[in-house]
Amino acid sequence: MQRFLSAVCLLAFAAEGRAAPADEQFEKVVRPLLLNKCVGCHGETKQKGDLRLDSLEAMLKGGESGPALVPGKPEQSLIVTAVRHNEALKMPPKEKLPAAEIAALAAWVKAGAVWPDAKPVVPAPAKPAAVRTFTAEEKAFWAFQPVRRPKVPDAKGANAIDAFLAEGLKAKGLAQAPTADKRALVRRLTFDLTGLPPTAAEVEAFESDTSPDAWDKLVDRLLASPAYGEKWGRRWLDVARYADSNGMDENLAHGNAWRYRDYVVRSFNADKPFDQFVKEQIAGDLLPGGTAQERADRLTATGFLVIGPKMLAEDDPMKMRMDIIDEQLDTLGQAFLGLTLGCARCHDHKFDPITAADYYALAGMFYSTKSMRSYGVVAQWHERPVGSMEGSAKLAEYEKKRTAASDAVRAAEKRLRDAVSARLDAERKRAAVYAEAGLQLARRRDPLRLAVADPSKGEVKGSVLVEAENYTRGNALKLTDGYGADIGVIINSGKLPNVAEYDIEVPADGTYQIALRYAAQTARPTALSVGGKVVRSDAAGEVTGSWNPDGQKWFAEAVVPLKKGKATVRLECAGPFPHFDKLALLPLPKEQAAAVGPTAEEIAKEKLLLLPLVRAWAKAAEKWKDKPPAADELAKLAADANGPFKRTPELDAAVDAALTADAKKAKDELAAVEKSKPAVDEAMAVEDDAKPQHVRVHLRGNHLTLGAEVPRRFPVIVAGEKQAPITKGSGRLELAEWVASKDNPLTARVMANRVWLGHFGTGLVRTPDNFGRLGERPTHPELLDYLASELVASGWSVKHLHRLIVKSAAYRMGTAYDADKFRADPENRAYWRFNRRRLDAEELRDGMLAVAGILDRTPGGTLLPTKNRAYVNSTGGRGAVDFSSPRRSIYLPVIRSGLFDAFQANDFPDPSTPAGLRTQTTIPAQALFHLNSAVADQSAEAFAKSLLGAPGDDAARVREAFRRTYARSPTATETDRVLKFLAASDVSTDAKKLKAWQSLCRVLLSSAEFAFVE
Amino acid sequence: MFSRRDMLRSAGTGFGLLALADLLAAAEAKPADPLAPKKPHFPAKAKRVIFLFMHGGPSHVDTFDHKPKLTEDDGKPLPFPKPRVVSGETGNLLASPWKFKRYGQSGATVSELFPHLSTAVDDLCFIKSMHGSNSRHGGALLELHTGSDTFVRPSMGSWVTYGLGTENRDLPGFVTICPSLSHGGVNNYSSAFLPAVYQGTPLGNAGISSDKATVPFIAGTTPRTQQRRELDLLGEMDSERLAKLGPDPALEGRIQSFEMAFRMQSAAPEVQDLSKETEETKALYGLNDPVTAGFGRQCLMARRFAEAGVRFVQCSHSYHWDQHGDLRKGHGRNALAVDKPITALLIDLKRRGLLKDTLVVWGGEFGRTPTAQGKDGRDHHPHAFTYWLAGGGVKAGTSYGTTDEYGFYAATDKVHFHDLHATMLHLLGLDHTKLTYRHAGRDFRLTDVHGEVVKGVLA
Repeated sequence: MQRFLSAVCLLAFAAEGRAAPADEQFEKVVRPLLLNKCVGCHGETKQKGDLRLDSLEAMLKGGESGPALVPGKPEQSLIVTAVRHNEALKMPPKEKLPAAEIAALAAWVKAGAVWPDAKPVVPAPAKPAAVRTFTAEEKAFWAFQPVRRPKVPDAKGANAIDAFLAEGLKAKGLAQAPTADKRALVRRLTFDLTGLPPTAAEVEAFESDTSPDAWDKLVDRLLASPAYGEKWGRRWLDVARYADSNGMDENLAHGNAWRYRDYVVRSFNADKPFDQFVKEQIAGDLLPGGTAQERADRLTATGFLVIGPKMLAEDDPMKMRMDIIDEQLDTLGQAFLGLTLGCARCHDHKFDPITAADYYALAGMFYSTKSMRSYGVVAQWHERPVGSMEGSAKLAEYEKKRTAASDAVRAAEKRLRDAVSARLDAERKRAAVYAEAGLQLARRRDPLRLAVADPSKGEVKGSVLVEAENYTRGNALKLTDGYGADIGVIINSGKLPNVAEYDIEVPADGTYQIALRYAAQTARPTALSVGGKVVRSDAAGEVTGSWNPDGQKWFAEAVVPLKKGKATVRLECAGPFPHFDKLALLPLPKEQAAAVGPTAEEIAKEKLLLLPLVRAWAKAAEKWKDKPPAADELAKLAADANGPFKRTPELDAAVDAALTADAKKAKDELAAVEKSKPAVDEAMAVEDDAKPQHVRVHLRGNHLTLGAEVPRRFPVIVAGEKQAPITKGSGRLELAEWVASKDNPLTARVMANRVWLGHFGTGLVRTPDNFGRLGERPTHPELLDYLASELVASGWSVKHLHRLIVKSAAYRMGTAYDADKFRADPENRAYWRFNRRRLDAEELRDGMLAVAGILDRTPGGTLLPTKNRAYVNSTGGRGAVDFSSPRRSIYLPVIRSGLFDAFQANDFPDPSTPAGLRTQTTIPAQALFHLNSAVADQSAEAFAKSLLGAPGDDAARVREAFRRTYARSPTATETDRVLKFLAASDVSTDAKKLKAWQSLCRVLLSSAEFAFVE
Repeated sequence: MFSRRDMLRSAGTGFGLLALADLLAAAEAKPADPLAPKKPHFPAKAKRVIFLFMHGGPSHVDTFDHKPKLTEDDGKPLPFPKPRVVSGETGNLLASPWKFKRYGQSGATVSELFPHLSTAVDDLCFIKSMHGSNSRHGGALLELHTGSDTFVRPSMGSWVTYGLGTENRDLPGFVTICPSLSHGGVNNYSSAFLPAVYQGTPLGNAGISSDKATVPFIAGTTPRTQQRRELDLLGEMDSERLAKLGPDPALEGRIQSFEMAFRMQSAAPEVQDLSKETEETKALYGLNDPVTAGFGRQCLMARRFAEAGVRFVQCSHSYHWDQHGDLRKGHGRNALAVDKPITALLIDLKRRGLLKDTLVVWGGEFGRTPTAQGKDGRDHHPHAFTYWLAGGGVKAGTSYGTTDEYGFYAATDKVHFHDLHATMLHLLGLDHTKLTYRHAGRDFRLTDVHGEVVKGVLA
């Protein structure tokens, strides 16, 4: 309102002040522009975005995104920023206006937005923010009603579940199918609860157990198996869109995601109360009390909020942040509440009574939560240490060692520094001597200019040219392509120091200039020696521009007297060589040779000066003209900390080699200690932000068009209008308590439905992640509420639900087809028979490995070879992830956008979105998996080997094969058929025999009887 | 036993449902085979798509969008505001190092980079006013392929196959040759929440030479004759089981899918086998020259897949076009590798009568800045770039939309990826607002809530 009033004032001022030129500009350019380009969508007939642009009043009033203009301020006026097309809102959408029109519009706004015939604008009363009221129908929607424990229909001693189902069956004139045979039942229950096939012995034990509680005992045994958590934990991981890599644009390894996976498996195995499981995943970091292990577990649980797929290279950090929050809300809504909250990001939910305000009220909680370490490209998700006590002790010990090592470094450096600075103080008094020495050395420049522009041409008589790669002794790498293309060079071969030594035949006695041709992108000074004496310790120290052949240049390096005959020239560099191409010995004319003065080394030795300082002074002397500067200048130079008396590593070594070595040793030790840092266990986890805040509604989901601020709270349709304000913290703890409350109408229903779905293949609500209007209605609402209330009443025991369900007669029905019943209820909504189901991807693979006897049942840990936050693959490289381990499938890495192809073929869900229900397809890829995959090959081979290794004849082996695959003996026809198949195969050698049996095993493991659960 | 949706999802093969057909007639109004050819919403101009994807982002101002003013103002700063979000610093304007000329009757401007394609411009319809929303490879690839740079969504090939089914059940309906594993990777051809039958089938990946790119699991270690024996035994056992258990479409589908897989094992390699092509054709695609052979094989395979009835084929010239530096050499090398094969594909489709109902689409995930990065490079640029279309229903020999005088912003008749998607679907006879799939509480579209058919490119 403030802005609006000031706009009106400005308008009045402008109208009085400079009417004429502004009028003209408006009439000539702006009005036609608005009329031709804008009013079509923002005028009398259409008001897109609730905006009209056909009067000043309307423009000031604005639309959904706020006022269209602020007179005098083009940069703050949406109409100007929109036509410039460089922000999110671009208008006109299909066409950018010509630059002149944009400029005219901006100028008009800047001049005060004068609209000549505008009536005085009276501010309209502010429209109160629209409050969405819910219709009676919305309020009465079944899923939002409290769970009420229904009365169990009287069905004479039947299990409550059967009693509820009986009503629906009766209504359709149907009845339950007869109980399945015991073999089918034990296979069904074992796969359903553990994801594994029963062994032949287990089947036989159950078949022969005629006690009345045989089934109950079997149920208890399977629920107590660690394989139970692996099966049902994996189901939860579907919902939690678990993955070991980020996927999306930057597919980085989630190196610590497995801790969350193992936490889930542990929780199911321990039958952790489901409400606690929910709370830990939403706000485990904020739950008070507990042991160190429990606290670590709870932190790990919040990985649920962090493992989602993210656009980590989004250039707009605000957009990235809101997108991550959206992903968190969308997953949380579907996983726990069966609500598609994500739909309310851009506008009120079109189908469910969830408003955009509800959405941003929840978004505020996650805006106030730290899920990311940084939003800069490539962004980093948050992790927190979850070290055990033992880990902490190791860390403390390490810290102690590191402190000691770092103290030692400091002490050694101080001793060295003191020694050097004492020596420098002494040397400073001899500044004049250094200046003279420097000047003397600088005079050598002339003779050190190249004796000839290009020594390669051999223009100087008596010169010798040597190719660098023709060294007599050395360890450098000779290269004739790449860096050495067309010329041949030597470069570092990996052995340090780099050395190349040349035996050169000198044609005559004389003074020679030694020149080197090399390329270097960074300086790599190299020692040049002749006859074992260093003639220059910093030869080849220039930067030529590149490492490539086009960077090759000649430099004169030294002047030396040489005798006729063999001379040995040596190049040695502590680090890698510059890229040497050639050496040349160039005889110098007598007068030039005579002008050559002593070398730096000689001067230093003669005058008892420090060599590095002589060199530094020579560098400084290059600027003088044959004369050292005056005394005061010289004093200044000597005192300058960055002048020629500057401390350098070379100087340190020259002053006190022992102390320098000590300091280096101390540093090396520190580095070694730091390398031994014990790995701190970290888990993907969140924490509350220091400054919790509310979020404003993002109009059309865009963070650049903000609406009203919404306080953090829960969705009104479920939690009501009267809610206690969230005053401190993010509100996640309150959210967790609210979601996991027994009074929340959705949480218990959604989970009870998931458990039912896991046993029957269809949910009582057939859209397990959507309990909203577009989801399906429950086929048996009372049964669902009964199960939900049982879940809560049992202390949220999921295993209690399993027991309840699998002990029903409905669960133990056969799958037999019945034409009449099928016609009456083809989708089996009344549960008149049990649904035959195909093994899922993990059951299929684990089952094949188990039957073959090669399944490794080791639990937990990670098989991801990629380092945390490193790329799991590149554009054309699959990376190091390997799926060949014989461990259970749940422990194989789940790579987003790079799933194990055996999973991909067999309907493993996309791990980027919550999936409470796996789709089931029948595609040739599944058959190809059985025919040609490594998993199928290995299983069939191992299976065949173990059969052939057992005693007995072929008929006995076939019997054993059937027992292991199907938990039954073959019929006579089947045995005959298989023996015929084998007889027709070539079994002339052991290897061929193995192949024939492998074929048979492949067929058994591919067969429908194995792949389907009755 | 199974819902209609289960039915659609499980009966992926289109075989063996006859036994159930009567029973289902009452309850099931929809066709049972999700990949059976489906009628489009309205008569289609194109039956299939070949998408030639230039991964990395080819520079529009160096290829097809000629900007004399850019040459004139070489080295000067950009005279208007840069975008709010940019991935790197904005340098000064950089003239194109290549010369442009007008070609064909249409007088299309093409730079020296595409000497072959310049002879085919009268078959092309350029869209010079393309723009996207994301300036990073990953986001831009996902937006181009799925319509979303924010979430995992089905790819356009999946939507097309979902909308139209496929015409050859011995081959996958949607094939992508040598796709990138990064920058969205599989998500660029995945079906996301659409049923998996609509998933793109990758032949190899960007790291595999196109002559070694095959359908996953297509070949194993078992000799074909032995495999036939295995399948015979398996068929006997499974049929016996089916007879015992009574009608079950999932079981029937499974039995048939093994036969189909067996046929696919011959059919797919057969389409990929280029040895039977004439020497003239091989030469046309540049198969005899190592420079052009890689992408040439992709283009020739694309033609063969199109001929065999595959609905959507993507060829990827993977991640070569990202010239932040070394623009002259890099773009020169890239254009050399694709120019001849692409032109050959157009010629070959045309002479076989396939071009008239095949939609060929060429482009990258974004363009490159008309401003310089370093001395000889250009940065990512989603604010303006060029695509071209050819074939079924496309107004050949035209250019649609323009950029500003420097090619920095798309200026007139702007076309967003959403609009391109809407237009592609339109040419295939599909209304992008009606091609929907219900998931997680709403009806999803390739174009989300956006997209307008670009009428100006329709013949």
